[in-house]
Amino acid sequence: MLSLQPLNPKPSSLYSSTFTPPNSLSPKTLKPIPAFRPSRNFYPSIHSMLQYNRKPQLAGDTPRVVVITSGKGGVGKTTTTANIGLSLARLGFSVVAIDCDVGLRNLDLLLGLENRVNYTVVEVLNGDCRLDQALVRDKRWSNFELLCISKPRSKLPIGFGGKALVWLVDALKARDEGGPDFIIIDCPAGIDAGFITAITPANEAVLVTTPDITSLRDADRVTGLLECDGIRDIKMIVNRVRTDMIKGEDMMSVLDVQEMLGLPLLGVIPEDSEVIRSTNRGYPLVLNKPPALAGLAFEQAAWRLVEQDSMETVMMEEEPKKRGFFSFFGR
Amino acid sequence: MGASMWSLQLHTVSVPVPLEAFWRYNSTRKRTFKKLNIVANGDAKNSKNLPHQIMVVKSNKPNLPVLLQDAVTKLQESVKSIPPPSLLVKKHSGVSLPIALSTMVTLLVIILRNYVAKRSKPNRPGSVADLVRRGQLRSDRRGISNPLKYNDPFNNPLVKVSKSNSTVEMCGQVYRLAPVTLTKEQQAVHQKRRSRAYQWKRPTLFLREGDSVPPDVDPDTIRWIPANHPFATTASEIDEDLAQTNVYQKHGVPFRIQAEHEALQRKLEALQSEQKLGKLVIDPGAAKDFERPFKTRLKTEEQLDQGPYNRQMGSNSSESEGARDSFVNQHSSEEMDKP
Ligand SMILES: Nc1ncnc2c1ncn2[C@@H]1O[C@H](COP(=O)(O)OP(=O)(O)O)[C@@H](O)[C@H]1O
Ligand SMILES: [Mg+2]
Repeated sequence: MLSLQPLNPKPSSLYSSTFTPPNSLSPKTLKPIPAFRPSRNFYPSIHSMLQYNRKPQLAGDTPRVVVITSGKGGVGKTTTTANIGLSLARLGFSVVAIDCDVGLRNLDLLLGLENRVNYTVVEVLNGDCRLDQALVRDKRWSNFELLCISKPRSKLPIGFGGKALVWLVDALKARDEGGPDFIIIDCPAGIDAGFITAITPANEAVLVTTPDITSLRDADRVTGLLECDGIRDIKMIVNRVRTDMIKGEDMMSVLDVQEMLGLPLLGVIPEDSEVIRSTNRGYPLVLNKPPALAGLAFEQAAWRLVEQDSMETVMMEEEPKKRGFFSFFGR
Repeated sequence: MGASMWSLQLHTVSVPVPLEAFWRYNSTRKRTFKKLNIVANGDAKNSKNLPHQIMVVKSNKPNLPVLLQDAVTKLQESVKSIPPPSLLVKKHSGVSLPIALSTMVTLLVIILRNYVAKRSKPNRPGSVADLVRRGQLRSDRRGISNPLKYNDPFNNPLVKVSKSNSTVEMCGQVYRLAPVTLTKEQQAVHQKRRSRAYQWKRPTLFLREGDSVPPDVDPDTIRWIPANHPFATTASEIDEDLAQTNVYQKHGVPFRIQAEHEALQRKLEALQSEQKLGKLVIDPGAAKDFERPFKTRLKTEEQLDQGPYNRQMGSNSSESEGARDSFVNQHSSEEMDKP
């Protein structure tokens, strides 16, 4: 503690007025909160210790209704929904994730909540249960809730599926505990009835694509449909980027993708075997400690989503790390 | 406990000079008290440190609080059991000073070691960590009980941007960075291109294949749903208004459950008055029997208007289709009705 003292001109008053006793003995938490931290590059060594307790600034009106869509299947919509949803919850925002993938529901699996889904929106519409009974609250982050549209075997009356979602958003807004900050909709693949239902209540969209030509064509089409439908705020996430392949010109770079679609970038997610492992565990990647590469990237994307920001620089290919003299012999 | 102790120390350090002495005194006093408290609650692990702690206590505070007496007697016993250094000192009075000194130094070292050990060990006995150790809790699923640290993903020890902003090191791997060059104009050009390429009107009318198009409806806004669509149906056996009110309903019984309950009630009452069975006790099994006709009636309607299409699509059709269909329907309906 003494070593920190010279940093503050009037330590006693500052400490006594703003210092809150931390919960653990970890020396990291004993550092002053950032309210009076010195300018960023002034004390570079302390910088990394002071990183905690910053929070992104929420932009836009709540609830922000975001649809996660792609056109093509299997590019990572559900993975994105789970990870961004939980990242947002971890940042303190209240989140309702709606699994609109009517035929192939699997968001509950990714979140490890599959055993807790008793009722779905179809039951709510049928009058078999109330909306609050169909919301599944995550035990890890109590401000995260999951809502499934239907059970795999039941049929959704498509004529007012979209209308029903608008009611749902309205009803969530009017809840006693206050409306959620984010409603994130996991859209089914294709541009079918399920897609139309899913995009109906949204006012912004996250387009997930992989850097290959099939996924890009579908993404472009879907973007066109979203724009026709009046959704203007569309950002893209490029998933499963392999930096090693970009280097060998075997894969389009993120900038190539952007040139083809002309959409601002919300995030770039590297291919990461931890994604599959986390699916198996029912435990989204962003909760990993220490964070995995893809988890960090999802967290950053969530952060940008909150601030309605987009990327200004992107990660390209890997560079060999500068090593010592003996690295010459390895590799 | 640890935390408050530290905040206390923090105060000592930060208070201006004149008060310093008082604070230091105060804090050391409190600290010994803390230690004693640990001892008093103590368990086997702490008891081996007792002799040294009792020394400190005695020198500082002769009158111990009542709550500590228990521990003190225990301590005294253990102190008695080791050969008292004072005896040694008396016997060889010539070397008393070096011996006393070295004893003091040893004690000091031991106290210091204990103190350091305690500081470095974060989990106290009886904390949630023990639950994790016993397998009652999974360490990685303790999201709610962990105080959240907002972990800024951009300013993270695992993300290091180089000075020149040309590379970033993430999770130990260095990547080259490239600036995004997309401009607003380029975005607008892409939008225009797409609006030319994909003309689309949101479908507003959903019809089953084979239905006739109602007059004055833009055919572009009709969506044709195949009858055997795996999850979409156009049949609106659901009352839209009822569905909507139920979405907004915050408390009480949902309408369908209510309706079923009431229907059952009415049927029972009708039966009772008809057959003069007023005094008969109705068992739940009988109630189930009444429930069934109510549900299957709904299903048969659906089945009726689905039947022709299955035939039309030629999917697994046969003469016995009706029977088969009803079987399948009933089967799936039962599955659906399970909560
Ligand atoms: N960044 C990634 N790295 C590795 N595998 C991924 C990544 N993103 C998604 N996957 C895998 O791709 C598959 C499809 O993902 P999913 O999110 O279900 O796609 P969608 O919802 O679009 O159909 C999953 O098996 C998932 O594990
Ligand atoms: Mg999916």
